[in-house]
Amino acid sequence: MTFELWAVVTATEQLAPLVAAGLSGGAAVSAVAVGPLELAQTASGMGVAKVYWIETSPGLAAEAYTGAVGELARRSAARAWLASAAPGPRALLGAAAAATGAGLTTGGVALRLDGEQVVVEREALDGAVIETVAANGPIAVVWGLGEGEPAVGAPPAEIEPVPAASPWAVESLSIEAAGGGLSQASRVVGVGRGVRARADLALVEELAEAFGAEVGCSMPLADDLHWYAEERYIGRSGLRIAPAVYLALGISGQPQHVEGVRGARVIAAVNSDPEAPIFKTATYGIAQDLYEVAPALVRALRDN
Amino acid sequence: MKTIVIYKWFRSAASALVRQDGQVDWGGAKMAAGDDDPAALDIAKAVAGPGGTVTGLTIGDGETAWVLARGVERALAAPAVGPLTDELATARALAQAVRLVEAADAVEAADAVIVADAAAHPGVAPALAAELGRPVVLCVSSAAADGSQITVRRRVGNAVEVICLPPPAVLGAVAAGEEARPPGMMETIRARKKPVVELPVTPPPEALERRGTRPPARLGARLFGGSPDDAASALVAALRADGVL
Ligand SMILES: Cc1cc2nc3c(=O)[nH]c(=O)nc-3n(C[C@H](O)[C@H](O)[C@H](O)COP(=O)(O)OP(=O)(O)OC[C@H]3O[C@@H](n4cnc5c(N)ncnc54)[C@H](O)[C@@H]3O)c2cc1C
Repeated sequence: MTFELWAVVTATEQLAPLVAAGLSGGAAVSAVAVGPLELAQTASGMGVAKVYWIETSPGLAAEAYTGAVGELARRSAARAWLASAAPGPRALLGAAAAATGAGLTTGGVALRLDGEQVVVEREALDGAVIETVAANGPIAVVWGLGEGEPAVGAPPAEIEPVPAASPWAVESLSIEAAGGGLSQASRVVGVGRGVRARADLALVEELAEAFGAEVGCSMPLADDLHWYAEERYIGRSGLRIAPAVYLALGISGQPQHVEGVRGARVIAAVNSDPEAPIFKTATYGIAQDLYEVAPALVRALRDN
Repeated sequence: MKTIVIYKWFRSAASALVRQDGQVDWGGAKMAAGDDDPAALDIAKAVAGPGGTVTGLTIGDGETAWVLARGVERALAAPAVGPLTDELATARALAQAVRLVEAADAVEAADAVIVADAAAHPGVAPALAAELGRPVVLCVSSAAADGSQITVRRRVGNAVEVICLPPPAVLGAVAAGEEARPPGMMETIRARKKPVVELPVTPPPEALERRGTRPPARLGARLFGGSPDDAASALVAALRADGVL
């Protein structure tokens, strides 16, 4: 048996993980695309059964359309609603949940139908546990995974325009990019308070060079110590990066920092404390003094 | 303007004890101030502006002294609402409480309701806005009211965005760091003596059934040992094998 899943998106890159989650859970996936026509067109080729398209007016933020999404949700038979944690789609997901009375949860990593219930596995307590929740009616989930291969060669799905009668006057006045090269880099070395003195950053810079990486840092290195510019700290309130590899040096791995590197494909950590929380998140680790490991890494990288 | 700040409406993950088998023991953990609660309060004060009013609202066993010690004169609580699994149910409880405050003030709506856009419960702020039938902006780091508009700044991805919207609105607040100047012991003790008004909010039904918790599949990093050179070579080899170097 299958069930309907609607994925709410405001930008193309949000869709693939949601479609992948839906398809692997046995759902028939439709997209609710809130944005320009190009968004709906791209979405239609990504393995969905149908695209409901709410056209946005230039100058209005996606949040202006919460009412329209609520209206659409009221006439939907979807059993599951998914959106990424980005503010725009999340605002719209909240509207869909309120309109349908859907059980609302966060950090979804898998979902399936079990008898009459939709069952969702979610990361809870900063990733310390996986919780299973189930709903007899609709369920809405802020999806926790940013990965998922886009469907290739899928036949284009029908696009149904959905009128948005009176959007809220939520106007985007300006948007300024921050982060520069660091936010796009495929390799990043992140440095934290494990480095004892500013002069020792030379060690980190040398490693970054051998690694072909940009350098970022934890918040205290920018905010308290001012060793790096504000734009260089990574985390919940700083940059969110998605490099192929993130190497954390002397970073404890507090949840606020780790949130900024969740998109990294591989995380490696060097920390002298084997109990440091970063080792719970990292794929690889070296539980030793970074002052010895960083030069050794430079040698290993240069050796071949 | 009139604003309502909602604080201490969930328990901190740090106060949960996770056992080896993945069972979670909350002990006697209370509703706690989240990372973003101080930012929510700052934003509520900024939007209210001089001459405006800020009302503090908490649920469950959230201590009202938190907001009273931070310069807010009026604190209300909805003690019957405990921690809920379903974020929509939480939002519905908060919406009920907001409406009761507004009814008591004989206003149609407070100009802004500000609530932490908490990483652990990111569905609550938007669902609250939808329940109240008001526009919402999430991830707000600062805000100001100018005339009949609310202007907010927020970080989306790696960009800073300025947005304006009309009141009444809901803002989801995020903090940029630790609270700058937490109140001292004396202020907190004085605040505990101030009156608290209780609101008769009934906990809404939840649409989610909890089936239990288990430890995550991957328990930590693969650690490379030996001499620093051995460990470094092994790490570089692993990264090469993964195709990321
Ligand atoms: C609202 C809020 C938002 C926040 N947002 C962010 C954010 O966006 N980004 C962010 O980074 N933080 C953020 N923080 C702060 C966060 O909670 C942590 O305090 C911070 O990330 C810690 O930085 P750190 O890991 O560099 O330092 P520490 O936690 O002090 O860790 C240093 C680590 O270095 C290790 N170490 C020491 N010496 C050595 C050595 N010789 N070799 C190897 N390892 C060594 C130690 O074992 C330790 O684990 C936020 C906090 C709040 C309250």
